[in-house]
Amino acid sequence: MPLLPRLALRQLRSQLRTTEWRALLLATWIAITLTTLLTLLGDRLERGLLRESANLLGADLVLSSSRPLSNERLDSISAHDVQTTPVVQFPSMISNPAATETPPMLTSVRAVESPYPLRGEILTQPAQGQALPGKGEAWVEARILEQLGLGIGDQLQLGYSQFRITAELISSPDRGSGFRSFSPQLLINRSDLEASGVLAPGSRANFRLLIAGTAEEIGALEAQLQPTLAEHERLLSLQLDQPLTGDTLGNALAYLKLAALTALLLSALTILLSLRRFSQQQYTRSALLLNLGLNPGQLLRIYLYQLLIAWVVLALLGLATAASLDSAVQSWLSRLLPQQLPQAAALAWLSGPALGLVMLILLGLPPILSLARVPVAHLLRGDTPPQDRRARLLQISCLVLLALTLLLFLRAPVAALILLALLLVGGVLFGYIAQAMLVRVAEPLARRLLLGRLLRLRLRQQRRWHRLQSAVIVLLLTLLAVVWISRADLLSEWRAKFPTDTPNYFVINIQPWQKSDLDRFMQANAIDSALYPMIRGRLTQLNGKPIRPQLTPDQLGDNTLRRELNLSWALDQPEHNELLAGHWWDDAPELAQISVEQDMMDDLGLKLGDRLGFDIGGQQVDAEITSIRGVEWTSFRPNFYVIFSPGALESYPSTWITSFRLDGERKRLATEMLQQFPSLTLIDIDQLLSQLATWLKRLGDSSAMVLGLTLVCGLILMAVTLLQALEQRRFEAALMQTLGASGEQTRRLDLLEFLLLGLVCGLLAGLSAELTLAGLHLALLHVEPKLHPWLWITLPALSSLFFVVTGFLIRRPLQLDQCYRLLKAQS
Amino acid sequence: MDQSTLSPTMIEARALSKHFDTEAGRVELFTGLDLEIARGESLAIIGRSGAGKSTLLSLLAGLDTPSSGSVSIDGHRIEALDDQQRAELRARKISFIFQSFHLLPELTALDNVRLPLEIRGTDNPEQDARQWLAEVGLGERTGHYPSQLSGGEQQRVAIARAFATRPSLLFADEPTGNLDEDTGGAIIDQLFRLNAQQETTLILITHDQELAMRCRRRLRLHNGVLTEV
Repeated sequence: MPLLPRLALRQLRSQLRTTEWRALLLATWIAITLTTLLTLLGDRLERGLLRESANLLGADLVLSSSRPLSNERLDSISAHDVQTTPVVQFPSMISNPAATETPPMLTSVRAVESPYPLRGEILTQPAQGQALPGKGEAWVEARILEQLGLGIGDQLQLGYSQFRITAELISSPDRGSGFRSFSPQLLINRSDLEASGVLAPGSRANFRLLIAGTAEEIGALEAQLQPTLAEHERLLSLQLDQPLTGDTLGNALAYLKLAALTALLLSALTILLSLRRFSQQQYTRSALLLNLGLNPGQLLRIYLYQLLIAWVVLALLGLATAASLDSAVQSWLSRLLPQQLPQAAALAWLSGPALGLVMLILLGLPPILSLARVPVAHLLRGDTPPQDRRARLLQISCLVLLALTLLLFLRAPVAALILLALLLVGGVLFGYIAQAMLVRVAEPLARRLLLGRLLRLRLRQQRRWHRLQSAVIVLLLTLLAVVWISRADLLSEWRAKFPTDTPNYFVINIQPWQKSDLDRFMQANAIDSALYPMIRGRLTQLNGKPIRPQLTPDQLGDNTLRRELNLSWALDQPEHNELLAGHWWDDAPELAQISVEQDMMDDLGLKLGDRLGFDIGGQQVDAEITSIRGVEWTSFRPNFYVIFSPGALESYPSTWITSFRLDGERKRLATEMLQQFPSLTLIDIDQLLSQLATWLKRLGDSSAMVLGLTLVCGLILMAVTLLQALEQRRFEAALMQTLGASGEQTRRLDLLEFLLLGLVCGLLAGLSAELTLAGLHLALLHVEPKLHPWLWITLPALSSLFFVVTGFLIRRPLQLDQCYRLLKAQS
Repeated sequence: MDQSTLSPTMIEARALSKHFDTEAGRVELFTGLDLEIARGESLAIIGRSGAGKSTLLSLLAGLDTPSSGSVSIDGHRIEALDDQQRAELRARKISFIFQSFHLLPELTALDNVRLPLEIRGTDNPEQDARQWLAEVGLGERTGHYPSQLSGGEQQRVAIARAFATRPSLLFADEPTGNLDEDTGGAIIDQLFRLNAQQETTLILITHDQELAMRCRRRLRLHNGVLTEV
C-alpha cells in the first residue's frame, strides 16, 4: 500500500480512541443510516400511496372520453410500452324480469374485458379471483340485489339482453368519476354490449382506456397526450383530477420531505461540530507532520484518505443498519397499512452513502484545508491558529453547496428552501429565546440558592451549547407535537366543523314529472331539503364572441371550459351561498341574468356585467353576470357554478337534484324513497367521508412515524454533541471541585441545568406547537383555534426527562482524586 | 474548624506514602514522608519531571488520599473529613494557580474570578472580583474572555481568582511554565507581593531553581525522598 493511504489508515486506527473521531464516525453512521432509511421509506410510501391511488383509478393513467376513442389515438398509445384495457361505462335502467311489478332502477353499467382492472382488485362474493363476468353474466352491487329482489343465480334485464347474476360486487376500483361512481354498479363482459342494444350512437356514455406501466413510460405518455386532448377527452392521472387522493399524496410527500430535511440538517450539524473539534485536536499533529517534511498537499491527501476510508466502512455499516431497520419498520407498517409496501427503487439505496460522502467532503474540506496550512510554529506556541477570511469564505461556500445538494436531493427545491429557511430562522430564534428564558429563571434562583448563583455562571459558560440544544429540541418537539395532534385532532375537528344538519344524502336524476311526488314524499316524511333543477350546458361565448380566443392558455385549461357545466335556475338566492358582489335578480331584465361562482369568475377573468353564452342542447342561451357567489363546495348541498334567473332555462329539459340529512332509524327513508322512485340515484355521503377519514388517518400515521424516527435521530445527535462537550464539562467540574465545590454540588448543578433546559425547551415547544396548530386551524379548517393544555404538561416533562436522562447517562461522576490529575493532564 | 486559629502549623504530613498499582506491578512514588509547613511560610518543592511533585501537591491540598499516612491542613485531618467537609475546607482556605491558567473559556475575566466566590457563597462576589482584577492590573479588562487575553494576562486573572477568596493556603503548580521569561518574572513578582501582603502560606511546585530561591524554604523530591536544600 502506498505511503499516504497507509499513514491515513494508521492515523484512523489510532484516532479511533479519541472522542472527537468516535463522535464523527457515529454522526456519519447515523446520517447515512437515517438518510438511507428515510429515502427507502419515503420511496416505498410514495410507491405505496401511488399504488393505493392507482387502485382507485384501476390504472396508472386513464384516458376518458365522451365519445369512442379514435383508432389513431389507440395506435399512438399502443406505441408505448404500456398495458391497456378499454372500459365503457353508461347509466342504464335495469329490471327484474321475474318480477315485473318491481320498478326498474338506474345503475351505472361497466362493460369490461380482460385484463381488468390494471391496478387494484375486484372483490366479490363468492370470490371470483382474477376472473371477470363471463358472456351473459353480470356482477352487481348489493343495492341492486336488494332493490330488485334478486339473488345470485337470478336473471336481470338490461336493454334487450338478460344476464345471470354470478357474483355480488363488494368493491372495485375504476368506479368512474363524478356521480357515476356513486350509482349502483353493475359489471358485464364487453362482448355482451352490442347485443344488449343499450348503447346507441349519441347515448351518454363514458369511454375509457385504462393504462398501466412504469413511472417513466406513464410520464412520457402523459406528457405526449396532455397537449393533444380533444374537448371531449380528459386524462386522469394520480396527481391530476383526483382531488381527494392527489392532495393527500401531495401532503404525504411534503411531510416526508420535511422529516427528511430535518434529519439531514441534524446530521450535517453534528458532522460539522465533530469535524471542527476533530480538526482542532489535530493542529499539533499536523504541525508535527509538516515539520517532519510532509508538504501541505500530502497532508491534505492523508486526511482526505482518512475520511474516504471511514466513509467506505460507514457506508457499508449504514446500509446494513438501514436494511435491518427498514425491515423492522416494514413489519410495523404492515399492521398500519392495509397492504404490503412495495420494494424501494435500487437507486434509493445509494442515496444515504452518496449524501454521506458529500457531507463528509463538503463539511470536512474547510477544517482539513486549515490543517494543511497550520504553521509549524504552532508546535512551539501551542495556540490555535486564527481562522482567516479565505477559510471562512470556503466554509460558507461549502455549507451553501451542501444546502443546495440537500435541496436537490429532496426534489422540491422551492418548498425545501422555504422549510430550510424556516427551520434555520426558527432554530436561531428558539435558541436565543430559550437562552433568555433560562437567564430569567436563574435570576430569582440565584438570589435564594447558592446553587442558583453557580447556575447563573453555568448558563453563561454553556450558553452556546444551550442555544444549539434548545433550537434542535424545540423544533423537533414542535414538529412531532403538531403532526401527532393534527393526525387525530384536525380530523375530528374537521368533522366537527360540519353543522349537525349537514346533508348526508344526495339525490340526482330526479325527472321533472317526479318532482311534485318526491316533494310530497319528503314533506310527508319531514325531510328538510330543497330541489334544484340541473341542466347541462357548455360555456361557449363571452360578450358575444367565442370565449376561447379571448382567454390565456392557462385559462383555457380551466375545468369549467373542459366539460359541460351543471347549470341551474332559482328565484331566490340559495341560503348556503354567499352573495359577494352585485345583486340578485332585477325585476324585468332585457337579458337573462346569471350569478357566477367566485373562483370561476377569477379563473376566467370575468367581471360583473359580462355576457356569457352557453350551448344547451345545441341552442345558444345568453345571460348577463349580475352577481358573484361564494360557494362552499364541501357543504354537501347542491352547488352550481352558474345559476340563472327564472324564466331563462325552464323550456330546456332538466333533471333535479337535492340533498338532505337522515340519521339513525330515519336512514330507512332512503330505501323507501328508492323503492318509490326507482330511477333516482341516491348517494350516501357518510361512505365518502369515511373513505376520506381513512386516508387522513393513514397519512397522519405515516408522517408521525417518519417524524418519530427523525426525533430519534435528533436525540441521538444531541447525545453525540453532549458527548463531545463532555470533556469540557468534566474539566469544568474538576476545576469547580478544586476551587471548593463538592462532587454532590456539581451533580446537583448539572441536574438543575438539565432540568431547567428541558422545562424551557418543552414550554417553548408547547407554545410554538400551539401557534402552528392555531395557524393550521385558521388557514386549513377555518375554525377557531383551541388550546391543548396537556401539551403544556407533556412537552416540558418529556423534554426535561430527555435532558436529565441523556445528561446523566453520558455524564461520568468525577472523583475528587481525579480532579487534579485531569487538570494537570490539560496543562 | 475553630482550632485552626490556634495552630502555628498550616500543613502537617506524617508517614505519607503513595503508590499506584499498574499492570507492570506496583509503582511507589514515595513512602514515609514527613513534612511540616508553618503558617505564612513559602515553600518550593522542586524535582525532575515525574518525581511525583504534583501528586504530593494534591495530597497536601486534600484533593487525593494517601495510600498510607495522614495529612492535616490547618489542624483538620483530611482523612476524617467527608466529601462535603473537604470541599468546604478548600473553599474557605485553599487556592490554586495552575501552569495552564485553567480559566473557563466561555466566562469573562470577571466571571472567572467570581466563580470561587460564588462557590463559597460570598456576599458581594462581583465587587470583590472587580477589586482583585484591579489589583492585578486588569481593572479595564473585566469583560474580556480568556481568548482575548494574552498568556500573562490570563495568569493574572488566575492569580486574582486565587487571592479573591483570601485563602490561607495557596498552591502554585509551575505557574510560569507556559509563559516567556519576562512575563513569567512579572507574574512571579506579583504572586510574591500578594502572598506577602495577604500572609498566605505558599507552596510552589517548580523545576526552576531561580524561582525556588525566592521561597523561604526549598524541598527536593527525588526517588521518593524529600530533602531540604
